[in-house]
Amino acid sequence: MTRTRRIQPGAPWLEISSTAADWKAADPTLLVSMLGQLQLIRAFEETVLDLAGQGLVHGPAHSSIGQEGGAVGSVIGLRSTDAVNGSHRGHHQFLAKALTHVTGGAHAADDLVTAPVRDVLQKTLAEILGLAQGYCRGRGGSMHLQWLEAGALGTNAIVGGGVPMAAGNAWAQRHAGTSDLTVTYFGDGAVNIGSTLETMNLAAAWSLPLCFFIENNRYAVSTTVEEATAEPRLSGRGPGFGIPSYRVDGMDPLAVHLTMALAAERMRAGEGPVVVEAEVYRYFHQNGPYPGSAFGYRSKAEEAGWRDRDPIALLEARIAERGLLTEQQLTGLRGQSQAVMREVAGALTESDPDRADRRRIRPELWPDPSFVDVGVRGDASELAGQRMLDPVEHSGATRSVKFVEAVASVVGTRMKEDDRVVVLGEDVHRLGGGTNGATKGLADTHPDRVLGTPISENAFAGLGGGLALDGRYRPVVEFMYPDFLWVAADQVFNQIGKARHMFGGSNPVPLVLRTKIAMGSGYGSQHLMDPAGIFATAPGWRIVAPSTAADYVGLMNSALTLDDPVLVIEHVDLYGRRDEIPEGDLDYHLPLGKAAIRRRGQEMTVLSYLSMVQVALDAVEQTGVDAEVVDLRWLDRASLDWDTIGESIERTNNVLIVEQGVLGTSYGGWLADEIQRRFFDWLDQPVERVTGREASPSISKVLERAAYAGVEETAEGLLRVRAARGGA
Amino acid sequence: MATVVTMPEILAGSAEAAIQSWTVAPGQSVAVGDVLAEVETDKAVVEFTAEVAGTVLKLLVGDGETLAVGTPVLVVGTEGEEVPGTDPQPEPDPQPEPRPEPATVAPATGGASSTNGSGPARGRRFVSPLVRRLAQEHGIDLDGVSGSGPRGRVVRKDIDALLAERTTPAPTAPAPQARPEPEPAEATAPAEATVPDGVTREALSPMRRAIARRLTESKSTVPHFYLKGECRMDALMRLRAEVNAQQPVKVSLNDFVVKAVAGALLAVPEANAVWGGDALLKPEQVDVGLAVAIDGGLVTPVLRDVARTSVTGVSTAARDLAERAREGRLKQREIEGGSFTVSNLGMFGVTEFTAIINPPQSAILAVGTVAERPVVVDGALEVARMMTVTLSADHRVIDGAVAARWMQEFVRRVEAPLGILV
Repeated sequence: MTRTRRIQPGAPWLEISSTAADWKAADPTLLVSMLGQLQLIRAFEETVLDLAGQGLVHGPAHSSIGQEGGAVGSVIGLRSTDAVNGSHRGHHQFLAKALTHVTGGAHAADDLVTAPVRDVLQKTLAEILGLAQGYCRGRGGSMHLQWLEAGALGTNAIVGGGVPMAAGNAWAQRHAGTSDLTVTYFGDGAVNIGSTLETMNLAAAWSLPLCFFIENNRYAVSTTVEEATAEPRLSGRGPGFGIPSYRVDGMDPLAVHLTMALAAERMRAGEGPVVVEAEVYRYFHQNGPYPGSAFGYRSKAEEAGWRDRDPIALLEARIAERGLLTEQQLTGLRGQSQAVMREVAGALTESDPDRADRRRIRPELWPDPSFVDVGVRGDASELAGQRMLDPVEHSGATRSVKFVEAVASVVGTRMKEDDRVVVLGEDVHRLGGGTNGATKGLADTHPDRVLGTPISENAFAGLGGGLALDGRYRPVVEFMYPDFLWVAADQVFNQIGKARHMFGGSNPVPLVLRTKIAMGSGYGSQHLMDPAGIFATAPGWRIVAPSTAADYVGLMNSALTLDDPVLVIEHVDLYGRRDEIPEGDLDYHLPLGKAAIRRRGQEMTVLSYLSMVQVALDAVEQTGVDAEVVDLRWLDRASLDWDTIGESIERTNNVLIVEQGVLGTSYGGWLADEIQRRFFDWLDQPVERVTGREASPSISKVLERAAYAGVEETAEGLLRVRAARGGA
Repeated sequence: MATVVTMPEILAGSAEAAIQSWTVAPGQSVAVGDVLAEVETDKAVVEFTAEVAGTVLKLLVGDGETLAVGTPVLVVGTEGEEVPGTDPQPEPDPQPEPRPEPATVAPATGGASSTNGSGPARGRRFVSPLVRRLAQEHGIDLDGVSGSGPRGRVVRKDIDALLAERTTPAPTAPAPQARPEPEPAEATAPAEATVPDGVTREALSPMRRAIARRLTESKSTVPHFYLKGECRMDALMRLRAEVNAQQPVKVSLNDFVVKAVAGALLAVPEANAVWGGDALLKPEQVDVGLAVAIDGGLVTPVLRDVARTSVTGVSTAARDLAERAREGRLKQREIEGGSFTVSNLGMFGVTEFTAIINPPQSAILAVGTVAERPVVVDGALEVARMMTVTLSADHRVIDGAVAARWMQEFVRRVEAPLGILV
């Protein structure tokens, strides 16, 4: 018979509610201001639903009516330098933060709508309608509301997607020595998602000032919280991660406010994250102006029960009890809110000249269609003024290093000279510089900026994204193997890659992602991809792929200077190679968009990158084909050196793209397409490619070798192109 | 099924052309490649050949009319077939009639060109995109060219071989092309009504219009400057007499001049360049234009690679070009390229003159007559045969000192002409 002993989680799990004494003691300005914000948000949301009903909101309008109490109660006590981000249902969170920013959290009952308040409402509504004057120039709409100056980091349409980014912001706040904090809002649906749970773990492990604010409105669209989890008391997630967790009635703004005050005290004191679960209710369906009961997943009685607990009614009653406002003043708050929203909606819409009974968006307010691609990336102007050096033009002294030493040296030099550089990834702080020595020595000199992460790519990649968006740091994130991009795909592509463009085109996102191709190392089907092709299709990313140590130094310096996310691809075959780099110089930048011709030739143009440049040169040697070998160096759509490529193709008229990895996700497919359209009239035969096979490389040494392309396959490619040149 | 043939775009970018004269008449049967008409554009007179076989059913336009490219000009079909509509502007591409076809006819591929059994094979001819472009640039007909690429694809090596076979090899680099010419302000053409008594109004031919446009543009936009050179011709005249006494091909004085021009350009390569807007375009070889007066105007066919052609070769090629110029049978590519033109009015007894540069070239040499003149040699008066030449140069490309060196080289070659032969 075994013996059992009950064990308790280390972190407290508390339910918090307000008392009569709390209501009596509450600051009158706080109560009036909370009511004012609630009325403004309610009127705002009613206007959005009205416009949606008229077909004027393109896309979903996720109403927060019924949930305003949680947002207002939690935000009104925050500083402008505190930050929030949120979910697809985020109008109330965004408005609470923006209104608190412009008013300092104090609203006057008789002058609720000041000019800055009106401005917030109009710019927010304009954004939701997709208009140029919105906070994100109409790009973001209802689900991507961002105003960094107010501490609103951006709401997010991926459930749980914003949570890791919030952790990055919290890391920056803490590391910069402030007592600021970050609140990340998400719902009961997001509480079960990996990004959220990974981030809870990471934030707790690193004691980040981050509040996980769960708006438990009981329904993920139509799926109930009881259907989705066996522990529907969602704050119960926290203690498992060692996070103090509070449960509070979100329909009671004062209770939320007091809970948040408690939470903030912990976070500002450096005691780490908290979970706050606020029970709220959305009166309407997932989106649109109809109640959930109309869709049959809940009853009208249930809805009526929650409406009886409406936060506005509660505050009005308590304020009246204390005699803080007259009846007239109370109705005046509602009246002022409705009036300003009529005015704001009127400024953005007009009656439709074709349909007298309808309204339409004022046509002059739409963004210019030519704005569509502006700000996918930055303009790279940050490279101007940097010292440029293309190592092929270097004539001074050089010294011999192992490639991997150059990796650690250049990042180490940057860390030494720039306090903003932060390195994070799995085991980067141990093992003599991670699994390959690429971060060797960095943790010894900068232990506070070399962060060994838990195995949670979504969380730490997203944390890097949040750091980059904050702007105080320049993260260098490492993926131990490229295939982990699939694990972290939401953060890498949906968040980091799109963060500049989606929020209006001007956010710098200075993030470097390092990863190594390990083809030939026997790690099998899930570790051996070449990520270039996938990143080349993703907007926002720049890609560099150095084939020499000297190029690595210059490209890493350029990557760390650019205000865009840059993927730096490395290769295990290169790590151990001895190579020459300029003596005493780890500071030069390699010019953006500059390829290198490694061998001049006339028969054909070979385009390659990374370790395959040498493979191509070896194959050229072996076959005696007079090929021109171009080392692309910069691979993304915006940075590719079309001048060099074009000049070569116009001379040789034949193209062979050489890469190592599998066919499906290959980089060359994209490149070949671009080439045939740009240079059709210069081509004497189709663009040919050398790639690996369809299957991902297997563990078996023989099958692995058969799956990727090497010298033999490249030589065959060269001869194939030669044969098709005819003349025989 | 009848095919409506439209005015072709003879030159890239030409908007109009004129049927100078029809060489076929209604009722006449034509094969693919037969000449239908002479078509005159503002740069060239070319033969307009049939791309479909059949019987000429109707000529839709008369001689001499200037027409927009794409205007229907004649109808070809089977004998006795009705012309689809008598509308002078028939539908450009009549749809096949739903008439049942004889059962023996292969399924129609829909092409208007497959009007009868002698149409092209159904299979597609494989030509690499590069070759397609080069063939067009060099005016090469790829029919009958066998391709050595995969599936018989005609590839660059095939067309390179073809070009190498030509007697006058085309430049290896694409000839410098004139940039799209801005439309200069038209010379104010008085309206018909304002022609005064005693004056007849003669409509401008396309060539006259082209001369007006191009030379106005040249003289008003190209910064010309001029250098005069005097050549003592006694040695050359003697040499020429000797050469012509020994061979059937009679070499003209001008042939020697052209050779000397090329030699001087080779000696002063800076002068062998043309203005390219943001760059100087430098041809690898020396191509020299020859101003040829023809009825109603002039043309400047270009002699290729003159430096590597013998003086008799130059003579033969020049005579051929001049003859075909007068007959209006020059091909477009034969009047393009070159950096330099020779204009000789010596046969009219002109002592000296200055010429306008032929754009986009950068220089022209105006050659006067050879006449006996008194000269002072070593303090003594002598009678010598002298020739005066005047170089007009584009100062954007050629500076004064370069032009002067060129002139020195030219005069030296003419005065010691044996170098021209070897």
